[in-house]
Amino acid sequence: MYKPQRIHPLGILSFTVRTLYSMGQALLPLLIIAIAQPTFRKWIFVAIPLLLAFFIAYGILYWLRYVFYISGQELRVEYGVMVKKKRYIPFERIQSVQITAGILQRLFGLVKVEVETAGGGKEAEFVLAALPRKTALELQKILQAGGKPLEEAPDEKDSIEYKLSIRSLLLLASTSNGIGVAISAILVVLSQLDDFLPQMNVWVKIGTYAEHLAAARVSLIILAVFLLILLAWLLSLFGTIIRFSGFHLRREGDSIKINRGLFEKQQLNIPLKRIQAVKVVEGLLRQPLGVVSVQVVSISNIGAKGEGKVLFPLLPKAELPEFLEKVAPEFSVPLEFQSLPLRAKRRYLLIIIIPALIIAILGSVFLPWGYVAFILPLLGAWLGNKQYHDAGYQLQDNILLLRSRKLGKETIIIPRRRIQSLHVSQNPFQLHSNLSNLKVAIASSNVAVTAQLKGMEKEISDCIMNGLMSGHE
Amino acid sequence: MRSNPEHRIDPRAVPYWRWSAVINTVFLLLIPAGCFWAQQRWQWPTWIAYALLVLILAYAVYLIFIQPDIRWRTWRYDVSEQEIDLLHGVFIKTRTLIPMVRVQHVDTEQGPLLRRFGLSSVTVSTAAGSHEIPALADDVAEQLRDQISVLARVVDEDV
Repeated sequence: MYKPQRIHPLGILSFTVRTLYSMGQALLPLLIIAIAQPTFRKWIFVAIPLLLAFFIAYGILYWLRYVFYISGQELRVEYGVMVKKKRYIPFERIQSVQITAGILQRLFGLVKVEVETAGGGKEAEFVLAALPRKTALELQKILQAGGKPLEEAPDEKDSIEYKLSIRSLLLLASTSNGIGVAISAILVVLSQLDDFLPQMNVWVKIGTYAEHLAAARVSLIILAVFLLILLAWLLSLFGTIIRFSGFHLRREGDSIKINRGLFEKQQLNIPLKRIQAVKVVEGLLRQPLGVVSVQVVSISNIGAKGEGKVLFPLLPKAELPEFLEKVAPEFSVPLEFQSLPLRAKRRYLLIIIIPALIIAILGSVFLPWGYVAFILPLLGAWLGNKQYHDAGYQLQDNILLLRSRKLGKETIIIPRRRIQSLHVSQNPFQLHSNLSNLKVAIASSNVAVTAQLKGMEKEISDCIMNGLMSGHE
Repeated sequence: MRSNPEHRIDPRAVPYWRWSAVINTVFLLLIPAGCFWAQQRWQWPTWIAYALLVLILAYAVYLIFIQPDIRWRTWRYDVSEQEIDLLHGVFIKTRTLIPMVRVQHVDTEQGPLLRRFGLSSVTVSTAAGSHEIPALADDVAEQLRDQISVLARVVDEDV
């Protein structure tokens, strides 16, 4: 431990694969060009084994040069083939030492040690890819005993962890938004088949499809489109798996750490203070399964990209209160809602049904099978009714809750002091029926986020306005 | 029940909005003019240009003669120690409250046309967007800006 030592030779493999992966990305276009050129093609069979041999040799060299040891109050790692690098990490900078074991490591009875520092970025993180378990435990013990200051000691509160199980991951992937799009696209394609293969019932159609395939070029195109959509679906499936596999949330004191990703490990650090609001989303497909996804609106710079806002992708709804209490206590409130007055329902129904009806009427006039479009107003009525019933609000303990639905149901939890501005508006119809729309603007990393509830009793939105504003600290 | 804000914006806002609508209309009229030209050149159907012309003129009549009065009558604002309170809207009446501690900065602005009428607008920015009080007399606008700026100087580290 105190003398420079190498990691287990299995590390060679991990170094080789890592170089191969990063170099491979750069070499792939070259490879494609080479395959396209007949003159170069025969060289590939020579070049690829040569390159592989080179990478393996490089991996071995890298492994030989890669040593770690403890000196004084520091963990030191020295590595590098061409350029020799040394990295010293003082114990007190070490946030956590994690021991994990992948399939490969398990085969050899080894473990992987990950040392995280406060920086959180990729550079500051150390991975000792393969160590005997005994050495790893010893190392962990030394690092954590020396490194952790007292307040960082893992008491009850600091060891809050949530992991995304494989089952949840698969559920998440198979109900991701991409799939709704894919399914509707497939339906469109199928409806097109009708026109090309008329006067037969569906099953006969499918049976004779192969024959038509040979005969009609159009059918080939349709098949291609169909396959493309299937591919898109698979891509969205695997995309979700790649992004969210190994999703792991840990609350450490005043910040939330999120690790995720299959190939590229992503780490997010969200300080609790920076979270402006929490969103609970129940997708149309996920709602019947009783699962929700939890998102945050935050002004943190790290992970400001699209999915950075996911706090936890899939959680059984029953576990939500406990989750919020443990992970983001500022946002932990009973999720009970006041519903909208019955006279607000008309607006929710009409605003969907009228456009749908217009489409249906136009469709049935101009298209041969257009009257099928009359299913749209029916669907619209169903959705509008659902939207009305899911709309709700609550103001208690200085926290504003708004719940609404577009397709999926969304609940937003906003502490009073996070509200940047508040709007109550009334259109002429609402002036007449004494209803109003409530809109709240909150800050976020990129664009301002607004949350809105339509059709609230005017007195109540005034009341909320007063309640939120009076005596603002 | 919260009472409506009291202050009105400057009455000169009405002629200012009229004139800016006139200028906008002149630019908008370039579109049907282009259509007439295209009709000469490539034999476009005549009705496109006429339809556009009628639409634009109708909109211009509304913007020049009808909207400014209503807009002025419906615009109210108030600035207190706690918050900035805005009420406006010709068809859709919107009440906006901005807590003073959320104000990040405040600007006065004066375009060439506003200057002609001796007016300025005051823009209040928060971390989630900005809000404008459109037409105030120069001195009123400046006073308001300074007042908000002082009131907003409350320390609040969480944005």
